[in-house]
Amino acid sequence: MSKFRKNDDKKAPGINTSSLPDIVFMLLFFFMVATTTKEIDPLVKVDPAQGVGLNDLTPFKQRSEVDFLYLGEPLSGDASKFDQGIAVQYDGIIHKDGIEHIGKWKNDKFSSKPEEFTAPREEVITCFKADEKVPMGIIFQARDILQEENFNSIGYYAREKGNKNGYNIRQQ
Amino acid sequence: MAKREAPEINAGSMADIAFLLLIFFLVTTTMDKDLAYLRTIPKKVEDQKPQDPVQKKNIYKININSKQVIQARDSLIRPENIESLNSRIKHFYLINRDKKEDRALNYPYYAFGTKAAFQQKLDIAYNGLDAYESKDVLTERDEKIIEQFNNEIQEWNKKIEMIELYTKFSGKKEMPEIALQAHIRLESFIKTDYSAYVAVQSEVEKAVTELRDEESEALFNITYTAMKKYYQQNKLENTPKVREYRKYMDLIELLYPLRLIEVKPNR
Repeated sequence: MSKFRKNDDKKAPGINTSSLPDIVFMLLFFFMVATTTKEIDPLVKVDPAQGVGLNDLTPFKQRSEVDFLYLGEPLSGDASKFDQGIAVQYDGIIHKDGIEHIGKWKNDKFSSKPEEFTAPREEVITCFKADEKVPMGIIFQARDILQEENFNSIGYYAREKGNKNGYNIRQQ
Repeated sequence: MAKREAPEINAGSMADIAFLLLIFFLVTTTMDKDLAYLRTIPKKVEDQKPQDPVQKKNIYKININSKQVIQARDSLIRPENIESLNSRIKHFYLINRDKKEDRALNYPYYAFGTKAAFQQKLDIAYNGLDAYESKDVLTERDEKIIEQFNNEIQEWNKKIEMIELYTKFSGKKEMPEIALQAHIRLESFIKTDYSAYVAVQSEVEKAVTELRDEESEALFNITYTAMKKYYQQNKLENTPKVREYRKYMDLIELLYPLRLIEVKPNR
């Protein structure tokens, strides 16, 4: 019977944690590869519209061939100060001229591109990250200015909708 | 002197360091990709020439009003039924395809180009160019005409290359081409929501991409979407595969062109 006698002196064996760093490093590398850095903190509220068959901008971002601007209600402050209640954010600042500033902003951006940058003006994409409630009038105002400045590529930002959900369109 | 063993480094805190880094990356990065519909704005033109009116059958007009109600040609589409645009646009493209008679009158007609016909057009352009280049004195107007001929020659050469590619992969001698003027015209109001506009863009993109994928799968055994993805990632490298895909994509885009005119709203 002595086989099953409890041995009270023995301690529970310690778990070997020497491979824990390896596991954590593996996770770390996964996240470093699979994610991209956040560009800037948004100052305007952007609930993206949804669509299917969207174009992935990652290859264009890697070649810095795309500039983003944000359109939506400001997160802080009075929305009524802005044209139609929509603030326009360019690289971390909300400009007081709103959409009229886009031409100057694009020209500044284009001249500050690195020297090895080869894409012509017409192919540098201007991507509108617009809130779903932004009226199209503003975007067409921007299109006119961009056409005048020969920046002919634009992108309408949206989120992948998925096959089961419908489009989220405001009904009136 | 007695040999001393190097003391072992305590690696117990390595995990803590790694965790710290991991959490840093978790906080500062995002998973979601940036996705968008890419469109081009037409080049600005200095002098507006009056243009020939486009025949009504070649226009597919989609109008979105300020209440997000969509009108596609003559039918009203409620926002919840927007998915029906997909089949409507496909219908617009396909109804007269491969038809030489008995065509639906209210939809764009197809032209059936052959290599011989393109070659003939090319010869005419060459002859026209020769006549002008042999002149001794060239006026400004002549130079413009010469440039026009050069563009034409380039265009027909491209067409011949495309039809050769098409014949090679499909075995057909005739290439169906939708009427040159056929386009989708997207009109909106100043107050139209961005989401509704993007939803229509999405349906248009989906319809045309599905048509292109189908054709591409039949011709080249690879979808247009896959080729485009590869091309966009590698377009700066001048490898044979990139050039080949570019050519295939050009042919597919010729067979199913996406001509989308976005009209500036004025009310």
